[in-house]
Amino acid sequence: MGMMESLAQLREESEAKLNSCRSPEELEQALVDVLGRSGSLTSILRTMGSLAKDERASVGAFANKVKAALEEVVAEKRAALGEIAKQRRFAAEALDVTAPGAVATPLGRLHPMTQTYRLIRDALVGMGFSLFDGPEIELDDNNFTLLNLPKDHPARDMQDTFYINENVVLRTHTSPCEIRALTTLTPPFRLLMPGRVFRVDEVDASHSPVFHQIEGFVVDKGLTLGDLKGILDSFVHAVFGEDVKTRLRPSYFPFTEPSAELDVSCSICGGKGCRVCKGTGWIEILGCGVTNPHEIANCGYDPKVWTGLAFGLGVDRMANLKYGINDIRLEYENDARFLRQF
Amino acid sequence: MKLPKKWLCEYVTFNVTNDEFVEKMMWRGFECAGVEKELAGVEGVVVGRVLSVSKHENSDHLHICDVDIGSERLTIVTGADNVFDGALVPVAVVGAKLGGREMAAVNMRGVTSYGMLCSGEELGLTNADYPGSEVHGILILQEDYPLGQKIETALGFDDDIFEFEITPNRPDCISVIGMCREAAAALGQSFREPKIRPVRGEGNAADYARVSIENYDLCPRYTARVVKDIVIEPSPAWMQKKLKAVGLRPINNIVDITNYVLVEYGHPMHAFDLACIHGSHIVVRTAQENEVVTTLDKRERPVTPDMLLIADESRGVGIAGVMGGLNSEITDATKAVLFESAVFKGSNIRATARKLRHVTDAASRFIKGVEPVGAELALERAIELVAELKAGTVVGAMIDVKKETPGDREITVGVEHVNALLALNLSAREMADMLGTIGIHARPAVGGLHVTIPHFRTDIESGIEADWDIAEEIARIYGYYNIKPTLMRGDTFRGRVDELFRLDDQIKDTLVSLGLYEMYNYNFTSPSVFDALLLPEGSELRKAVRILNPFGEDQSLMRTTLIPGMLDSLVRNANRKSGHLRFFEVGNTHVDTGAELPEERKKIGVVLGGEGVDFYLLKGMIEELFRAVGVKDAVWQASGESYLQPGRAAQIRSESGEQLGVCGELHPDVAGSWKADGRVYVAELNFAAIAQSRSADKRFEPLPRFPAAERDLAVVVDAGLESIVLRRVIENAPAGVIVSDVRLFDTYVGLGIPSGKKSLAFSFSLRAEDHTLTDEEIKRAMDAIIDALQASGAPLRA
Repeated sequence: MGMMESLAQLREESEAKLNSCRSPEELEQALVDVLGRSGSLTSILRTMGSLAKDERASVGAFANKVKAALEEVVAEKRAALGEIAKQRRFAAEALDVTAPGAVATPLGRLHPMTQTYRLIRDALVGMGFSLFDGPEIELDDNNFTLLNLPKDHPARDMQDTFYINENVVLRTHTSPCEIRALTTLTPPFRLLMPGRVFRVDEVDASHSPVFHQIEGFVVDKGLTLGDLKGILDSFVHAVFGEDVKTRLRPSYFPFTEPSAELDVSCSICGGKGCRVCKGTGWIEILGCGVTNPHEIANCGYDPKVWTGLAFGLGVDRMANLKYGINDIRLEYENDARFLRQF
Repeated sequence: MKLPKKWLCEYVTFNVTNDEFVEKMMWRGFECAGVEKELAGVEGVVVGRVLSVSKHENSDHLHICDVDIGSERLTIVTGADNVFDGALVPVAVVGAKLGGREMAAVNMRGVTSYGMLCSGEELGLTNADYPGSEVHGILILQEDYPLGQKIETALGFDDDIFEFEITPNRPDCISVIGMCREAAAALGQSFREPKIRPVRGEGNAADYARVSIENYDLCPRYTARVVKDIVIEPSPAWMQKKLKAVGLRPINNIVDITNYVLVEYGHPMHAFDLACIHGSHIVVRTAQENEVVTTLDKRERPVTPDMLLIADESRGVGIAGVMGGLNSEITDATKAVLFESAVFKGSNIRATARKLRHVTDAASRFIKGVEPVGAELALERAIELVAELKAGTVVGAMIDVKKETPGDREITVGVEHVNALLALNLSAREMADMLGTIGIHARPAVGGLHVTIPHFRTDIESGIEADWDIAEEIARIYGYYNIKPTLMRGDTFRGRVDELFRLDDQIKDTLVSLGLYEMYNYNFTSPSVFDALLLPEGSELRKAVRILNPFGEDQSLMRTTLIPGMLDSLVRNANRKSGHLRFFEVGNTHVDTGAELPEERKKIGVVLGGEGVDFYLLKGMIEELFRAVGVKDAVWQASGESYLQPGRAAQIRSESGEQLGVCGELHPDVAGSWKADGRVYVAELNFAAIAQSRSADKRFEPLPRFPAAERDLAVVVDAGLESIVLRRVIENAPAGVIVSDVRLFDTYVGLGIPSGKKSLAFSFSLRAEDHTLTDEEIKRAMDAIIDALQASGAPLRA
């Protein structure tokens, strides 16, 4: 048998051997057996020295072809075996993706009131408002008298007050911040005053002696009732969406003149009338108006020069509306099953 | 304020639906809380004729009626004995509503009754409303009403009553006249204002009685008229019907007249039995020490010198503006009456009524404000009614005691200014015309709009507020809905969330990311919590602000710490098995420092309960919080807060000594007071101290260029030793290399460790700035650290 024949036979035998391998290890061993230092191809090639020069060249070329062919077979086989191994692993490691996730500490929850407050705040900050803070326990002067509510003013009965002493009260609204702003800052300004307020209201589904307000207060030259309408419209649309309708209607507060209340179309029934809006299709969300000139004058500014616009809204009420919460008591019970929903 | 539609229609043409009217009034600033039916709680009751009555076979007292209600014939079973063939009766058919109950077909001893025959009482009627209403049995109708007609229509009780909410600035509208004036303007109709025909009378009232005012400040005007030959009898049906429509109970002609005038004109009056006024002399004076007045409700009321009395020459006969006295009450024997119509100072009446805890309807009118012209009008109207009802002989001349004659108030309003406030462009003429529709006379004049304020508009100021008051009226009439929303002009403003508000956000967001739920608790707390927290006498947390008028003793203080409220909520969650027991709250506490206003301290509270919590979890959360907000190098020290378990309590201070807060395990006795199961961990941090101690700076440090060697070692020390001591020893040992990331990773007590000792295992990194450490350098560093530990009494664990 000539060398060429031996090589051809070797190629055939080796291909069969390589192809029959069943694992990567077996394949690597077979590779060594054929192409390794003492493999069968190598040993054939070692005998090439005995050939004639011209024959040596053609046999050498053929031998290289055989070697390349075998290497190709090995590469293919290697890839095939690797693929099988991967598939096996995938099958063995398949997971139930519907089983629950696990983190060491699941996220906690921000109270819905905090979330609502931030929503309102962000809408107003976008309109150029900055934040301003005042104390929860206030001077009667700041809470009432300087706001045009002197002692014995009948409208004081509108807000039943917790007293600490004759001159100190739990603030009944965030409006005393207006006095603090007017006496410590220099207008013009646009302020946002969030805070906790207190009224002698027995607890029930819609009343709480502790609740939260955000006061908006703008003082500048040449402001108008139209500007107030403009601020409130954009703010309501930011919080409740563009589809919500607003209605600014006359009302009375001692610290504004003209005074108004803002209604929004009921988000529960879309304005058709339901239990939440008491069948009217509207829900009152805030009181507002042009700042009473007495208040501006009480703080040392000329009301014919400086105009104020003010509005005060109840965060609790807004949160309840926003999330469809039907009982204000839930806001202060801190039941985790309630908080988890937000 | 109840406004019956029929009464309104006497003065105003009502040409819209009820809903339209309610909306128009809303745009004028008058909110309607609801529209009631005159015959409250009656719906679907119709006129029917009893065709025949037969006895019920299975009952001694029931009767079976065949009833024709026009559209059909019904079988109805009744227990009443007064029905007869041909009787016309009110029938509550199936589906009708009566007193909140809906009628259904019911089986009565084998016979199905399709409805019910009604008594007068069931319809809420009295004999005065309809003759025979109070008989025992079914109401037998006297006239021939159409069968099937609604009973309220048949009997003329089909009025609609609007319930308006009146804002405190409009006391003039707590009256039919005031509301009709506004309603006419809202409807675009003219107001047919009733004219009072003065009754001259005979003789001179001064011959019968006189009035003196001792305190004009509290009573600026007192008017009175005398009526003699009084005949006390029930008032006529039309008056009773109107009074009942607005919810008042008819009493007798004289009392009803004063009530009627109150509803109509809004001015409270009082009628005295003149025979009971000693000396026929009314003295308006403040009460003397130890005086007592027995009021009409038969209650003895001690009065004080700050209260105004209506007295005669020897005693009080009424508490001014609050309630009349029993001693001068109108009775069936009354022969002569003195009608009082006065003005009392609202703030004084408010104080009196509050002190007596007796805010009558009259008092609330005086508190809201009445005026001197209205007093006279009311009196003249009452006298007109006396004459009309023939209740007695009117005596001539009005007694009128006052300091000054009230005159019209005139103001000049800036037209430009009003337009500027409202973003409108109206002429003075247009404004004058608009004001005219609500009874305010105005005319264009030099310098603006000249306005004569009508006597009933006490809310309109003649001072600084005048422009704004008129602007409000113009806006109401022009329609708020017609004012266009605009964008504010002027300088641009940079809106921002200031630093402290941002810190608030950061704290809350961090605690949420650590798995805590946010609480909102009330500020009110009970004095008993201080003992429950085992606070020593003199503890600053006991210096709570006390509320003068709390809901109860248990809510009488403002909280000085968030912990009690948080524990309440935590235990509530545990009891309800809500599935989560890790919470935080950010809120204010108050400490009474003796200053006028207490010190307000914002705090951050954390409570942890349930499975898997311990001191180090809480500490870790606080450390993460500090890292998030930029508080560096907080110092933790063992401490002894009374409400924390000894040995498991820490105080946290900033590097500069600021008190950042406290943290620890709740004392078992405190946990017991709250009935908290298991161990509870609490922390309370000071917002202001955190704000001051944080450094917002974040500076980049180059990353190490050469790898560090990680090493660990364990030492044996006294069980009471604080690990921070050894950490410092390792950090400061003369290792000759950089020692960093020193961390206690294990504490062990038990087998192999002598009792009273513990093993502490530390890990740390060794490295150099400019090269990779050699084995030799590492060995030298380790030897130096071990020597330093040894020298500090912490030998290596064998």
